[in-house]
Amino acid sequence: MMRFFVLIFAVIGLIGAGPQSASAQEKTAVQKGFELAPNSGKRILVFRPAIRVGAQSTAGLFEPNADWTEEATKNIQASLAEFQERIGNEVINAPEAYGAEAQNLQEHMDLFAAVSRSAIKYQFFAGQRLPTKKKDNREDIFDWSLGSGVSSLPGADGADYGLFIFNKDAYGSTGRKLLQGLAFLARVPVKSGEHQGFAGLVDLRSGDLLWLNADFAMGGDVRKPEGAQKRVGQLLEEFPGSDLPDGRGE
Amino acid sequence: MTNFMKNWFLSAALVLAFVVPSAVLANSYREQGQTVSVAKSDMEVTPPQDWNKLRARPGKKAETWTLDGELLNDVTFYGGIAPGKPLVKERNKKHEPLPKFEKETLLIEVPELLESTYRANRKIGLFELTSIEPSQFLGRDGVRFNYQYVDKDGLTRKGEARAVIVEAQLFMVTFDAPRLHYFDRTLDAFRALADTATL
Amino acid sequence: MSKFRQLSLLALAPLSALVFMPPLHAATAPMPPPFEGVYQPQGVDEIGWWREDDEDERALLNSPVLIHDEKLNNYVTDVLCRTVGYDRCSATRVYIIREPVFNASMTMNGTMRVFSGLLLRTRNEAELASVLAHEFGHFERRHGLQRFKGLRSGSDVAAWASVLAGVSMNYGAHRSMHGLNYQIYGSYFRFSRDDEREADLLGLGYLNSSDLRPHAAAEVWENLMGEATASASIKGLKKPNFGRVAFFASHPGNQERANYLSALALPDGAGRDDGADRYREALADWMPIFLDDQVKLNDFGASEYIIESLAQNGWTAELWFARGELYRNRGHPRDLVNAAEFYREAAFADPDLADAYRGLGLSLMKAGKRSEGQGALRRYLELNPDASDAKMIRMMAPELEVSE
Repeated sequence: MMRFFVLIFAVIGLIGAGPQSASAQEKTAVQKGFELAPNSGKRILVFRPAIRVGAQSTAGLFEPNADWTEEATKNIQASLAEFQERIGNEVINAPEAYGAEAQNLQEHMDLFAAVSRSAIKYQFFAGQRLPTKKKDNREDIFDWSLGSGVSSLPGADGADYGLFIFNKDAYGSTGRKLLQGLAFLARVPVKSGEHQGFAGLVDLRSGDLLWLNADFAMGGDVRKPEGAQKRVGQLLEEFPGSDLPDGRGE
Repeated sequence: MTNFMKNWFLSAALVLAFVVPSAVLANSYREQGQTVSVAKSDMEVTPPQDWNKLRARPGKKAETWTLDGELLNDVTFYGGIAPGKPLVKERNKKHEPLPKFEKETLLIEVPELLESTYRANRKIGLFELTSIEPSQFLGRDGVRFNYQYVDKDGLTRKGEARAVIVEAQLFMVTFDAPRLHYFDRTLDAFRALADTATL
Repeated sequence: MSKFRQLSLLALAPLSALVFMPPLHAATAPMPPPFEGVYQPQGVDEIGWWREDDEDERALLNSPVLIHDEKLNNYVTDVLCRTVGYDRCSATRVYIIREPVFNASMTMNGTMRVFSGLLLRTRNEAELASVLAHEFGHFERRHGLQRFKGLRSGSDVAAWASVLAGVSMNYGAHRSMHGLNYQIYGSYFRFSRDDEREADLLGLGYLNSSDLRPHAAAEVWENLMGEATASASIKGLKKPNFGRVAFFASHPGNQERANYLSALALPDGAGRDDGADRYREALADWMPIFLDDQVKLNDFGASEYIIESLAQNGWTAELWFARGELYRNRGHPRDLVNAAEFYREAAFADPDLADAYRGLGLSLMKAGKRSEGQGALRRYLELNPDASDAKMIRMMAPELEVSE
């Protein structure tokens, strides 16, 4: 009897894996009418990016790797700054905060996570879309906000926009790559390496979410500078004002 | 065909048989101006603006409406909780019982019932009732109360609720939202919605 | 045979045999090893986890559930340091979290989390010290790291097996544990029973070498079992099989543990101080709050057990009040009669305790004693005219007409 139920769940698991396929993995939204002209000299405040990089062992258990995370953080931040400079915006790292200021920042970051998750779940991807958000999609409306309290965040008075980045990376270890190969033969989908990230740009006066990018299957090995560039490129894909003349290759 | 394969096919068939058309699985539209009953009860509301109703129900006699998702604004209707019943579904009736509404429950004790339900259900330690006042609800003498708590996701949320006891049954509507931006932003919309409630 | 089994067999030897044996240090927990100096993480896994734990700690520092009270934090830290030694203690930071659960944990980087439900249940410094020293033992033996490695290799086998069975893999349980609130709970691994025993041994070693009574370690356990039994009884459940109940399942079970903890305690330490008075004084402001958090969880049996346990040192107004709340919340007719009595005791012990009159008034009204209830509610308003529910109460108990 037990085996029977295990199999049912397995089938559900397979079907469940379906909608998560590549085509539904990535989405960007911009607040209607928002434009960030290149070389406009806007200042972007980057909040402590939550970046974690590690290996992924065979069963999908996350193994953190401090060197990789350090590397990746450095690479991503460098790429970020470079990318922004190319489109003419200045990147500022948010200053350290303590006490009540730090608690306020933490609460805003938690709120950003809640807002992003809601936007992703209820507006981005089909399946759970709220009907009022479907309507918004039809009219190209993307209306989410953190509220004007963001103007009191540390560093906000010296910047125009705030950038929040979440990037979690787990690379397949040898075991998992082997498993993936075998699974391929068995025609069972087993993703090697889990890549998840979302990034959001917030107006530091109104708190409006001007731009949100959710990507659950990104490429680029962030441990290497080129990979970090590619990842930043993907994270900041369709970043407002980023229509750069060609020459901006992979 | 081996037993293994037979089991596979049977499982697949069963699953597919139970896969309901997506329309039923989706979250529903609650259109402005359309009177509709809530929480499987005789309580009705006429939304002054468009709302969404979540497919997932917190309990047999409860339902949740939202504008931006329950993490950001959560309006929950409780439609006629009978004596001996909890507000929301219990995960395990025997091992983790939730507080029950009783025949003897006074109107002034309803806020405590909500507090205890949240604390027991979510295992949280920070919850404060900030005010409790007499107020009209469903055209009768009821209570209006406000609260604040730290939820499991670490966000501090504020709440406002209206409740009344009618013929030994509890009718209530609650509104929960993060204290940052969302509570203030959606409060008027909630009040306008709650004002249209009739029984 | 593992070192632990050798010791436990000795410890559980019949008393008569012990009488004829010379005093055996092997029958009690061994003294802790000398301090080796500040430890730095080594290897990819450990360095990686320290980094994660450090990030979690940053967020924990800014969490709204953290209790910032300096006096309380200093006290708990001091109890830890006095027990394991100030040199070892310098590698840790103690955080107190407002959550009504009996728990304490220590992550690999030295972050110790103590939950308010724990502080509610330990009744003296010796009991608190035994739990903290046990958690410190996990840290010192780097059990977290070992568990992680063990988990990893264990789950690899499962993954292979499932592919061969043709089942699609979901990402491991670890990911769901690292959900939205990982900074509160920290990187969490269920330690093996052997790890738990080793931590017990080490923790008791510290306690034996301290100035506190080591038998308290067994008493913490006994109290937890008593509470779980009381809780199950009221719920109409069978007496718990401690091997199955959540917290206990990951630790060596039940009476066995209380027994060996007791046996491993240094006999000479039996007469030592518990630090009960110091503990009560340090927790004085917080105890009623933690107790209230507990009562509101709707676990009648557990809450009543805890109240009665605290009352062994004498019934206070707060304890009577908490008991009143407990009974009023359950609200059966006999409960209301009892609740009224408990609230009266509270008011007698502290005539300025406004909430006691509130509870009394409501209980009486629910029991049908309307005018008596209204009298109590009026007294509540006299004592606390700006209460958050004053308007509602006034409606229920209007001012008496002053007769001309």
